[in-house]
Amino acid sequence: MFLNFARRVLQMLCSAALLLAPQVHAGVAVALNSADGTVSLIDTNTYQVIGKEVACKEPHHLLPTPDDSSLIVACSASNQLVYFDPKTGKEQRRVRDISDPYQLGFSPDRKWFVTTSLRLDRVDVYDAQTMQLKGRLHAPKTPSHLAFDDDSRYVFVTLQDSNEVVAINLATMRPEWFLPVGATPAGILMSPDNRYLMVACMGAGHVEIIDWREQKTVKTVPAGTATHNLQPRGDGRHYFVSNRSMDGSIVLLDTRTMTIIEKYDVPGGPDDMEVRADGKELWATARFARRVQVVDLTTKQLARSIPVGSSPHGVFFLDHAARK
Amino acid sequence: MIQQFLDAFVAVQGWLLDKVVQPPLLALGLGSYIELAFDGVEIFLWGVLQLLVALLVLRPLETLCPLEHWSDRRAVRVDVLYTLLDRLGVIPLAVFAVIAPIFVEVEGWLRFQGFIPPQIEDLLPALEHAPLLGFFVYLVVLDFAEYWRHRLSHTFGWWWALHAIHHSQRQMSLWTDSRNHLLDDLISGLWFALVALLIGIPPGHFIGLMLVVKLVENLSHINARLSYGGLGERLIVSPHYHRWHHSLALPPGPAFRHGCNFAILFPVWDWLFGTLYLARDNPPTGIAPDTVPGTPDHDGFWRQQWDGLRGMWLAMFGPRRPQP
Repeated sequence: MFLNFARRVLQMLCSAALLLAPQVHAGVAVALNSADGTVSLIDTNTYQVIGKEVACKEPHHLLPTPDDSSLIVACSASNQLVYFDPKTGKEQRRVRDISDPYQLGFSPDRKWFVTTSLRLDRVDVYDAQTMQLKGRLHAPKTPSHLAFDDDSRYVFVTLQDSNEVVAINLATMRPEWFLPVGATPAGILMSPDNRYLMVACMGAGHVEIIDWREQKTVKTVPAGTATHNLQPRGDGRHYFVSNRSMDGSIVLLDTRTMTIIEKYDVPGGPDDMEVRADGKELWATARFARRVQVVDLTTKQLARSIPVGSSPHGVFFLDHAARK
Repeated sequence: MIQQFLDAFVAVQGWLLDKVVQPPLLALGLGSYIELAFDGVEIFLWGVLQLLVALLVLRPLETLCPLEHWSDRRAVRVDVLYTLLDRLGVIPLAVFAVIAPIFVEVEGWLRFQGFIPPQIEDLLPALEHAPLLGFFVYLVVLDFAEYWRHRLSHTFGWWWALHAIHHSQRQMSLWTDSRNHLLDDLISGLWFALVALLIGIPPGHFIGLMLVVKLVENLSHINARLSYGGLGERLIVSPHYHRWHHSLALPPGPAFRHGCNFAILFPVWDWLFGTLYLARDNPPTGIAPDTVPGTPDHDGFWRQQWDGLRGMWLAMFGPRRPQP
């Protein structure tokens, strides 16, 4: 009994010492727990959860500012953007009256900040410097993810329930065209050469390659059940594609050949992803398993499974690979 | 222990999603509802757990220390059916399917007018960093709204004709809680959605709020001698407290002409608004003849639904009758 007591006292002293120590972490991963309204902070070296911060109501996606000095969390039910310090995971500030932000993105020229409102069928365009609303567009139905062309002339948005991609002209703030794609399009990215849009179609289980200048689909690449999102490996050529089913997987797409060249088993509904700068690890939120999964890209096996909060969605760390 | 429970829970939830729910959704082009379906599966599983608690804890309590002894329990059977439909998510899903599109349209339109619905956190920003306190505040506000919904359902003749189905049970038991007319359920859903829109109840709180309310309601209808103690009976609606709400004979006095003890969770609302009635004895339950149009005392599910509609019609267009 005394040993137990002594152990508890020792534990308390150690905890107190940790609390007094400066909160600086060499590597912190931030995972967004949508249903809990929190962010989990994970030490990227030990893979341990080292803290949890309250964010807001229903945070879904996150995005670093172009200079990586802040991490913006889109709080759809709070109508806010919450800025976190990506080094410590601590809150920096809040921007209010941003209506129902779900997915978000900066145009490459850093002029525009665009949000989608998945629930309310809307796309909002803000001045990226002042956060003043410059355009509000009705975008039925269920606008989900977004991508820009390299010249920042267009923002392309997937419309999940109408199975389309809409191209919005950022100069006129008007939709310029709608292109039918496979069922339930979600993730969308521009290819490194600015020629093709790659669209993850959940219902169809494929990635659709679109020549956006010609407004036509040039290829469909089967990826797996519930193909959901894309993330560049950082070498200007390969992209990871998550298949968000419970016994899910992530596959590797070669954009030169437009073929799948690798597959990793990642259970739990892999959703958003992040890649280590050295290319050795792929992190993914497992949406349905309350976990963040870490794939060792050397062994191509699931190496870690980190318990976080409910419905983890976005994940980010500073030590990430290039975004192309 | 908690992590093990969560892991087991999400494993079952994920399996049901993957094997039962997701395939038809994807096949029907409804892939964007998968996240919602995941929450729906969670509601279903919590419902299963609630039913287990009802069967393994509450039902034995009714057997061990019953308030009333019934030689024939056939009248209770229909209440069990109502409970299964409610707790396993059939009725909530149907209500959601009717209400959600309406509120999305209304809210979407409001946003285009530049109006962002207010939230409790606008008044109390400190709640943004205190989710547990926030949960309690939402619970209190929701219960306040529920008090008035419940009271009004006893006040308007047409609404009382629907709600009388709930009160017509003379063998009140733990199963009686869910015995409601489907139209009454729909109105309750609309009321809740309106409150959620006005104060910004976070979707992540829905399940927690529902569990608390359902647990207290389950207990408040139980046919058992169960006391919460002197203080507890004044803080939380108890079986004895709620039994007077279901009393066959109304308490004397004009304050109680529509009934008494309308509170769902916290008796403080009855105290504040003059509808509190405390007495030592346990009255028989049911509704007196001729207090409601029609004869809502049948045991069949569909017959009760018909009785409710007919009673509502008579209350609106038939000869005037005394109200409770």
